[in-house]
Amino acid sequence: MYDVNKSEPELDQTETKIAARKVQVFYGANQAIKDVDIDIQDKTVTSFIGPSGCGKSTFLRCLNRMNDTIDICRVEGEIRLDGQDIYAPSVDPVQLRAKVGMVFQKPNPFPKSIYDNVAYGPKIHGMARVKADLDAVVETALRDAGLWEEAKDRLDTPGTGLSGGQQQRLCIARAVATRPEVLLMDEPCSALDPIATAQVEELIDELRQNYAVVIVTHSMQQAARVSQRTAFFHLGDLVEYGDTDTIFTNPQDHRTESYVTGRIG
Amino acid sequence: MTDATARGFDWASSENDANLRKRKRSQLWLQSLGIGAISIAFAMLFLLVGSLISTGYHAFTQTHLELEVTLDPDLIDADNPNSGDYRQILTDTMQVQFPDVADDRAELRKLTSILSNGAQFTIRDRVVANPDLIGETITVKVPVSDDYDQLNKGLIDPDTPEANRRLKDDEIAAFNQLNEAGVVTKPLNWALLTNADSRFPEQAGLKGAIIGSAYALLVCFLLSFPVGIGAAIYLEEFAPKNRISDLIEININNLAAVPSVVFGLLGLAVFIGWFGMPRSVPFVGGMTLALMTLPTIIIATRAAIKAVPPSIREAALGVGASKQQVVFGHVLPLAMPGILTGTIIGLAQALGETAPLLLIGMNAFITSAPETPFDSATALPTQIYIWADSPERGFVSRTSAAILVLLTFLITMNAIAIFLRHKFERKW
Repeated sequence: MYDVNKSEPELDQTETKIAARKVQVFYGANQAIKDVDIDIQDKTVTSFIGPSGCGKSTFLRCLNRMNDTIDICRVEGEIRLDGQDIYAPSVDPVQLRAKVGMVFQKPNPFPKSIYDNVAYGPKIHGMARVKADLDAVVETALRDAGLWEEAKDRLDTPGTGLSGGQQQRLCIARAVATRPEVLLMDEPCSALDPIATAQVEELIDELRQNYAVVIVTHSMQQAARVSQRTAFFHLGDLVEYGDTDTIFTNPQDHRTESYVTGRIG
Repeated sequence: MTDATARGFDWASSENDANLRKRKRSQLWLQSLGIGAISIAFAMLFLLVGSLISTGYHAFTQTHLELEVTLDPDLIDADNPNSGDYRQILTDTMQVQFPDVADDRAELRKLTSILSNGAQFTIRDRVVANPDLIGETITVKVPVSDDYDQLNKGLIDPDTPEANRRLKDDEIAAFNQLNEAGVVTKPLNWALLTNADSRFPEQAGLKGAIIGSAYALLVCFLLSFPVGIGAAIYLEEFAPKNRISDLIEININNLAAVPSVVFGLLGLAVFIGWFGMPRSVPFVGGMTLALMTLPTIIIATRAAIKAVPPSIREAALGVGASKQQVVFGHVLPLAMPGILTGTIIGLAQALGETAPLLLIGMNAFITSAPETPFDSATALPTQIYIWADSPERGFVSRTSAAILVLLTFLITMNAIAIFLRHKFERKW
């Protein structure tokens, strides 16, 4: 059922990283997600699109169990990361979130220095025992996020003092610093100007080499630009999921067609 | 141009002018109401502080006599300097000042009463501290008794009919004679801060009350700060949101509004009645005040925790921080300014609280400052209460002075709260 094959060392582009089956999410009595089945592939950018309130962010937050922090939220069904059910009692959501990093809609750096922002994750997970290791981790993460050149001379200045686009890249650096396997991005560019957006999109494309990236976006152009796979959500249903090209040029469902051509949403 | 009115209004019309005038008038009216309210508040404040200072400043000085005292070896037991006829020594001293009444014992006694009743102990303490002084002549500054202090400060008017005066003509004459001899001084009254309470106003000070209050506040802080923050963190971050936590929340909010005398009764019944703790001690006072301060701290801490942006919480959770790491690493540091402000405001309230301390007996008459939180003591507000209740004239100004001391402490604490808030806020 799942395309998980641990014995094969070479990961090909189509290997399933996350497999979700019959996922239902309830906020109290309201059902936000209805029976979603989806296979998210490794080393691929998958975008979730759909009108506001369609459940795409809710579903994204199921993938690293961020919904656990909401009291009235209940998740049913099965989500497997590399074959491991992430809602199994043996799985600690805190450890899961180190494996499945997240970048939020609004840049939210900690009110600490740039260095401390990036070093926080590795520190709490004991990934670097000595200062030199930590320095290396911070540098790698900032390089991965394309922020190293701009930030290397001001690592001890507040992260909140950066520009919006830089702050968002700092948040990406913070998320990749723990060496996650999946990177979730909840509308990462909605608070950024076009130039900063272009930088982040370029970055997302580079991150694809090492991570499975899932991005929620309201911009169909962005989905078309950065993602290889696209999922269209509507009123809690996963209406259509496939290659981005297919979704935008030859959608199978009339709702998808209406949305991508701008008639609904 | 017919549609000019249809679009809304005409800049130049008289109707528009009237509307505008009306709006501006009501705005002006609201503003002047506000200014009036603030002016009244300030006037009241000035009245309060002004009246306190105008009666209290008398207590900041104290009339003393600077006397040459001969420590007659016959009157002091050299082996035990604590027992000695120091009163007689003072009488002898006054005899020197008034040679013409040398033989009239009744008159001499009257003259000796110019000196404070505590003056003999001032001399005794010096001799006990240094027994070598026996036989020597030393210069001592001793306070005069309350009536003469009032006279020296102009609070007793020699022109009022003798029958309506506490001091008779001959007593005033005797004091004037001392004044002419140049032995009367009026230095700053440090005794107000360095002495404990006394029956004699000229000897009474706030040392016991200040130390008692400090101990009580320390106990109150040590109990209410950790417990309050702990309770707030649990309620805000960990407690499930259900009927029970709602009930707890409502009760905490109600507790903050419970009259303080009720907490005093609780302290009396539980700490003193059941646990058999001693009366009048700052430790019990502090625990009782902690009961009162707890809801304030819990409410302030919860508000401060709630004010931490959820995005910071999400960011920390998103990189895999545990709940406890989020709370201690991110939420608490950001909430600290608010928590500290709330705590200090709560402690300032506790510092001024009188009723609960009255109930647990911290209004006792205690003439020595407490050494530990378990010694009997008064507190500043209860000391004010005691002095306000005392009939001697000298306590009138001392009550005001004590209130000023209390207000000084309160202002200092509030200043610390403001300072801490700025200090922690600057640490982005």
